This record gives sequence, structure tokens and C-alpha cells, in this order.
Amino acid sequence: MFDSTSRSHGLQRPHGLQRPHGLQALAERVRPVAASRTRLLPALPPIAALLPDGGLRRGSVVRCTGRAASSLAMAVAAGPSAAGSWCATVGMEEMGILAAAGYGLDLERLAMVRAAPGEWAVATAVLVDGIDLVVLAPPRHARPAAARTLVARARERGAVLLVVEERPGSFFAELELVVESAQWQGLADGTGRLRSRRVTVVARGRGPAVRPARQELWLPAATGKVVAA
Amino acid sequence: MTEPVPPRLLLVECPGLEAPDEDDGGLHLRRFGRVVEALSSVCPWVDAVRPGVCTLPIKGPTRYFGTEEAVLVRVAEAVGEALGPFREGGRDGEGDVGSGDFRLGVAEGVFAAVLAARAGAVVPAGETARFLAPWPVAVLSDPELVEVLVRLGLSTLGGFAQVPAADVLARFGTRGIRAHRLARGLDGELSGYRVSGMGARLVAALGHALALQDLQPGFWGGTSAADERAGEVLTALQRRLGTEAVTVPVLEGGRGPADRCRLVTWSPVVARSSPASSPGSSSAPGRERKGSRRKASQAPLEPPWPGRLPPPAPARVTVGERPVEVLDRSGVPVGVTARGLLTAEPERLSVDGGLWVPVVAWSAPWPVEERWWSTARRRAARLQVLTADGVARLLVTERRRWRVEATYD
Repeated sequence: MFDSTSRSHGLQRPHGLQRPHGLQALAERVRPVAASRTRLLPALPPIAALLPDGGLRRGSVVRCTGRAASSLAMAVAAGPSAAGSWCATVGMEEMGILAAAGYGLDLERLAMVRAAPGEWAVATAVLVDGIDLVVLAPPRHARPAAARTLVARARERGAVLLVVEERPGSFFAELELVVESAQWQGLADGTGRLRSRRVTVVARGRGPAVRPARQELWLPAATGKVVAA
Repeated sequence: MTEPVPPRLLLVECPGLEAPDEDDGGLHLRRFGRVVEALSSVCPWVDAVRPGVCTLPIKGPTRYFGTEEAVLVRVAEAVGEALGPFREGGRDGEGDVGSGDFRLGVAEGVFAAVLAARAGAVVPAGETARFLAPWPVAVLSDPELVEVLVRLGLSTLGGFAQVPAADVLARFGTRGIRAHRLARGLDGELSGYRVSGMGARLVAALGHALALQDLQPGFWGGTSAADERAGEVLTALQRRLGTEAVTVPVLEGGRGPADRCRLVTWSPVVARSSPASSPGSSSAPGRERKGSRRKASQAPLEPPWPGRLPPPAPARVTVGERPVEVLDRSGVPVGVTARGLLTAEPERLSVDGGLWVPVVAWSAPWPVEERWWSTARRRAARLQVLTADGVARLLVTERRRWRVEATYD
């Protein structure tokens, strides 16, 4: 299709670059498609409902806070991981690997980094170089300068930085995922066991066009997965 | 015309990355490196000609992808992806000196391919000389020669190409012949266009090995490229923080959340050959536990838990010791009897000497006997406890001491 136009264009009007023709038209046509497909890391359907783009935007920072933040972070990471992305964790030494596997993280593409107290930022900076999704539990009083550097670096490298905190700290996140309420089910007075937890997650974006989204989830459902409630 | 023509090339030009600013910390070169890297998923023979410009032969990938258009779409996607995060408009994209732009062109030889990219053209095989003909001689980038040619009325490459080679040689010498061959589409590239050592510069800019032309064929998938990239990053991190700092999880049999997975130090070999054993693969069949009898009598609706933690698994597994005090209504510590029953109903607990929190729900304890085969046997019981603050924990008691084994965060 572009062959004939580009050819005549090339042969007869080598300087005529007023309008995109041929390959440039192709590039224009392909670009938004390629970008929208590849700029986003996929999310599991119940999580996608919370994300303004339906996926995790490369180069962005997403923060999970509140009770169940760890579980929420795993459920968020499960989408890219299941789709083949590498994930790494920093400062998440306590992350339950069984739970992570239950949410859908691919353990074969998961690296857990133990960084000494002064090295978490360096470790994160190195990881965003080649790992699609880095889950970071920063120290409580992370230096704002270090946070800014990491945000810029994640943006530059196209990685998603998933910050897990009990309450919002130094990082500037494009998207805040807050667990507003969490209710365990299945446990009673001396009988039963923890089976599932119903949570309300609210997503707040920084952009003016982004409306807050709210989603009821089983986090986890009895199966160990994340399911829309 | 029977003289051989240069190979037909697909040229990718990223105008914003052509003049790497030495003060940008190698940023442009790194971006270009990522473009080259991304293209290696389309074709293993990417040639980085100079900053911002690389080529790949179109013939091989066309055989692989079916049509030239398919190759072009793939290339446009790969380049768009590699430049993607920086081209986003809005926030800081548009003012970014257009470093996210790129152009594609196909023609025989680098020289013609550059012009094809400028025109956005795919020049069919054997048509390169005709494509070149209308271009002004100025594109030969030789001001002295161009001035003479223009004075002679040879203002286009086509006009210049018509002059017999012998006359060109007589009048302009070897330099003129080289330009003449370019104009006729017989030579690949302008002298001085190629910047030598691009491979090494890109490797230095990226900080890791780059699959340039010596890459193994068959490297078509993007997945293994991502694996390799991750591997390089993890190895780099190990150099920085120590080998032990980077671990990968492996699931195994075991009863407690900590027993059932193991972190092994990452190495490229481990990463490729660690089939995570299925969580249920090594449950202990035929092992009768005292606890299952107790379970059967006290909570008949529950499946027997032979010491194994029931799902869902806790989101946080305690690292190190986190002691808990568990008290009953009258302030007496709660324990577990030899028969695996709680001595009293738990009423409140305090983690690590912290505030007392009321207990709102708890499970029946399930006894765990670890290492039953060894003399260092250890008897413990686990208990799930939900406190008024909404936190669910897995506690374990051993020798009358409780600790937090995991948190259902």
C-alpha cells in the first residue's frame, strides 16, 4: 500500500516533505498502536479496573498504601509478571512467596534483593535499568532527593516503580492505590480459619483528567487469588 | 548495468539522537543503544552506523516475517517501544528536542537508504539509481566537488551519473569516482559518514553487553532478550551489593510459610534452570500426626491439616524474632496443652512489647511437630489471630513463648 506512493514520492519529489508519505505515514500509523500496547504493562482484570489506562504505565510510579498494601502490591505485580515481565523487590524481605505465587507472580522471573539500610536507593536505581517492575518498600524516612532521583530514573528507563508504604512518604506517585477497608472472613471464636478478605481499594491519579476509581476486591479470595467482589 | 549493487538495507534514523551531547551523561547514546537493542529482536544483524543511525538487511527478516511491510511494522514498533517512554507528549515530551522521532527508509546501500529515510520511501530492489537521480548533488557532502558539478550544469545525481566514469576519473580523480559511484547507486556510503567504534561506545553507554552483529541467529523472541537484560542487571547488582544480596525464591515442601520456600542466591544458571517445584509436591504422605486426631474431634468440618498451613498464604513472613504476649481475660498468658488445646480464650495481645490490642477472632491451634525424625524434635502449635485493628497474624508457640510467624497483610 505504501509501496506505490512512497516510490513515486521518492522518484519524483525527493524534496517534497510537506506531508507524511509512505513510510512516515506508516510510522505515524504504527506509532500510537505500538506505543499504547507497549507503554503499558498489563494488569490482572480486577486491578485493571483501578488503573486509568487499564494497565501500568511504563516509567510511572504507583504507590500502594494502607492495610493489605503488601497483598495489593503483589496483586498489581502479578499482571506484568504473568505476562512475562521480570519483577524485583527491594526492602520486601518479608514478602510471602507462597502468597505471591498465589496472586499469580511468576517466581521464575522474580528477584528479591536484600539491600543494606544505606543501599536501597542504589539497588533500586540499578534494577530499574533492566527490570520492568520494581517493588520497593522504602525506609520510613527516605530522603526526598533519593526518591526524586529514582522517580526520574524509572521514568527514563521505562520501568514501573511500585512503592509499598503504610502511609504516603517521600515518593511522588502518579497513581495512589489505597486500601480503605479490609475485612477478613472465616475466622471466629476458636473455630474456622482465615479464608478470604474483602477490601475496598481507591485509586487516585495525579492528572486532572483522572477520576478516582473504587473497586471492591477479594484480596485474597479463598483460592489465594485476587478477584473482583 | 551489470556491476554489483550494495545490499538492500532498512535504515532507521533517530534525528534527535544524532548528535550526542557530551554533557548529557551519555543519555542520547543510551537511548540509541536501546533502539539498537530493540531492533535485535527483529534481526540479529543490526549495524550501528553512527549515533542515531543504524541499518539492518531487509532480506532475511522479510523471509522470516513474510512481507516487507510486516518487517517495517515490526521495526517501527520496536523503535517506538525503545523510544516510547520519552516520546510521550504532554508532561515533558514535546519540548524534548524531538528525540523521540524516527524515520525509516529502504534502499540499496547506506547512502541511498539515508535519502530514502529522509523521503520516507521504500525503494524497490534495482531501483536505487533511479531513486537517486533527482536528488541535488549537494547530498554528496563534498562542497568543492559540488560547486564544480553545479557550474558544469550537473545539478542532480542523475545528471552526474550520466557522465562516463573515465571522464569523471580524468577530471576529478579518485575522489570524484567515489562520488560518481555513489550517484550511480553502486557504492554503499559517503566516506566519513560512518563513525567507527559505535559498538564499543554503545556498550559503554548502556553499561552492559549489546547484541550487535555477532549475535546468535534465532534470537527472534523478545522474551529471552528481557531475560538477558534482567540477568545483566542482577549480575551488576551482585557486583555492587555482594552475591548474597540478590536471591530468587524456590518453592519446596514444608509446613510453615518460611519452610515452604527457600531463597537461593541468584545466578544466571539458577535463573534458567529453577523449575519451582509445585507447592504440593512434597507433602508428607503417610505421616500420621497427633494433631489430626484432635482436629477431627474438635473441628470436624475442617479438612485435616497435617501440620501444613492452610491457604491463603500470609503476605508477610516474619524475618527474625518477633515475640508476642497473648493473655486471657484475667491477664494470664494463654498456652497450648499437650493435647493441642488452648488453655484459655485469648483476649488481647501485644507484639514486640507494643500496645495491647484486643483479639476479635482466632482459630483452633494446630500442632506442628517439626523434625520428628531427629532427636532435636520440636513441638509447636500455630494459631491464626485477628485483632481489633484488622490485622490477622499467624502466631506460633514453642516452649510457652509466642511469636509472630507471619502477617496476613
